[in-house]
Amino acid sequence: MNSSRKKEGQMKTKKNEKKTTRRSFMKNLSVAAAAGSAGLVTGGCVSLEKTEEMGLKWEEYFKKNYRLMTEEEKGETVARLERLAKLKGDGDIQMSSQGPRENVLYGYAFNISRCKGYMDCVEACVKENNLDRTSKTQYIRLFEMDSGQLDPTTGDGKYHHEVPVENKFYMGVQCYHCENAPCIKACPTKATWREPDGIVVVDYDWCIGCRYCLAACPYWGRRFNWGEPEIPREEMNRKQHYLGNRMRMKGVMEKCTFCVQRTRQGKLPACAEACPTGSRVFGNLLDPDSEIRFILKHKKVFRFKEELGTDPKFWYFID
Amino acid sequence: MKKIFLCSNLLFLVLGTMLLSCQAAMASGSTVMDRIHAAKEPFDNMKMETAYQLPVKTVLAKESYQGGTFRVLARKDSITRFRCSVCHTEKKMLARDGAFFTHSDIEINHGRGDDKLACIECHDEKDRDFLRDAEGKNIDFDHSYRLCGQCHFRQKRDWLGGAHGKREAYWAGERVVRNCTSCHSPHSPAFETKMPVTYSLPLDQ
Repeated sequence: MNSSRKKEGQMKTKKNEKKTTRRSFMKNLSVAAAAGSAGLVTGGCVSLEKTEEMGLKWEEYFKKNYRLMTEEEKGETVARLERLAKLKGDGDIQMSSQGPRENVLYGYAFNISRCKGYMDCVEACVKENNLDRTSKTQYIRLFEMDSGQLDPTTGDGKYHHEVPVENKFYMGVQCYHCENAPCIKACPTKATWREPDGIVVVDYDWCIGCRYCLAACPYWGRRFNWGEPEIPREEMNRKQHYLGNRMRMKGVMEKCTFCVQRTRQGKLPACAEACPTGSRVFGNLLDPDSEIRFILKHKKVFRFKEELGTDPKFWYFID
Repeated sequence: MKKIFLCSNLLFLVLGTMLLSCQAAMASGSTVMDRIHAAKEPFDNMKMETAYQLPVKTVLAKESYQGGTFRVLARKDSITRFRCSVCHTEKKMLARDGAFFTHSDIEINHGRGDDKLACIECHDEKDRDFLRDAEGKNIDFDHSYRLCGQCHFRQKRDWLGGAHGKREAYWAGERVVRNCTSCHSPHSPAFETKMPVTYSLPLDQ
């Protein structure tokens, strides 16, 4: 009896030993390191904050790819990022990790006979998505096109004069959230993928900045952070999403996310809401009663470079 | 020996074609259009708990959308001097107030070429609180789409379906769309030319 109990006890300790995973080891290590540094630096509050920041950054460094995280781990990393932003002086950020909804597949339609080229969409996108002001990063590009042309490369993408000009039309280009996206296939670290609701997203913490996706995209849909993105503090949008408009770092790829932080709450993307002409229609492709389905059924539609087989979820239509 | 080699080659060929066709079938089975055609059940838009009522005043439209109802933005609240009958009475007034009380600020730029519309082609001559269509029916200012749609029937058809005009703030929840007059000034409905709000850098920078 006694010996068997002993054995059980031994087994238990062995099991416990086995449970020391790499993750928990790193956690302990970070605590030890933090304690060590706290001991070394004989300071007040400032050093304590530094220690906390270092510990959080350490934990962030060893987190998983977003797709492999459990709901709990997602919550933890979001809390860490919020705290880190606060320590950095970015204020109170509300970051979400809201997931996709069932029976939702986002689609977009753009009316090329209505768009007047006012560029309100571009401005709204920059503000909503915290895009770098220094390099003037923009997800959307509007091309001023001659009538009869349907290829944006023939248009003028840097016009700055009174619009609309007679006998010209305007065509907006952005990420098309392809069902069969070449950028996803090109990524060597699986840092970019298509969510079940059709949005192609980037895990900024897993992007290594190789820019293969940028080369693979036939629509110039991706943007690279060549420098540390800079935004005036008062203009920062603090309603953020982990996969969306949270602050990016130098050396990572970013792109239009159909404003995932808005659309998953039922709102329109910032560009569609800002458009004064109603050229931008957004909705659920899997809902036969949605506006976008009406357009696909009743209007003349086309997709850009459809022959490539990328299967984009972005249609152009005419009245 | 040679025969066996040939046979195995053939087998590989058959297997290969089978696999390829299988792959092709799988790829074609997941295109957007296939998924769209497979989706027949309407999405329950009201279950989006975050899509809440708008802070602007809306009214129930007197038309139907996909067999259901929808709402449009109210118009009467944004007309500065509604109700019109407050001024449009038999009451006499001083000539010096004329500039303020008459609509001297309104310039009509609606209609083809020199053939501009007159006020009473849309406004009711007798009851100024209403619009009036070609059949002589009174039309409420909040439901001006019924009047505009007389001539602009193509736009109205598109607007009812969602290809013209725009939804207000939410893609989910109850359908709330802008009224004709939310975007177009009824007296000068064409969009004006103006400078774009921003600009883009050349692509190679």
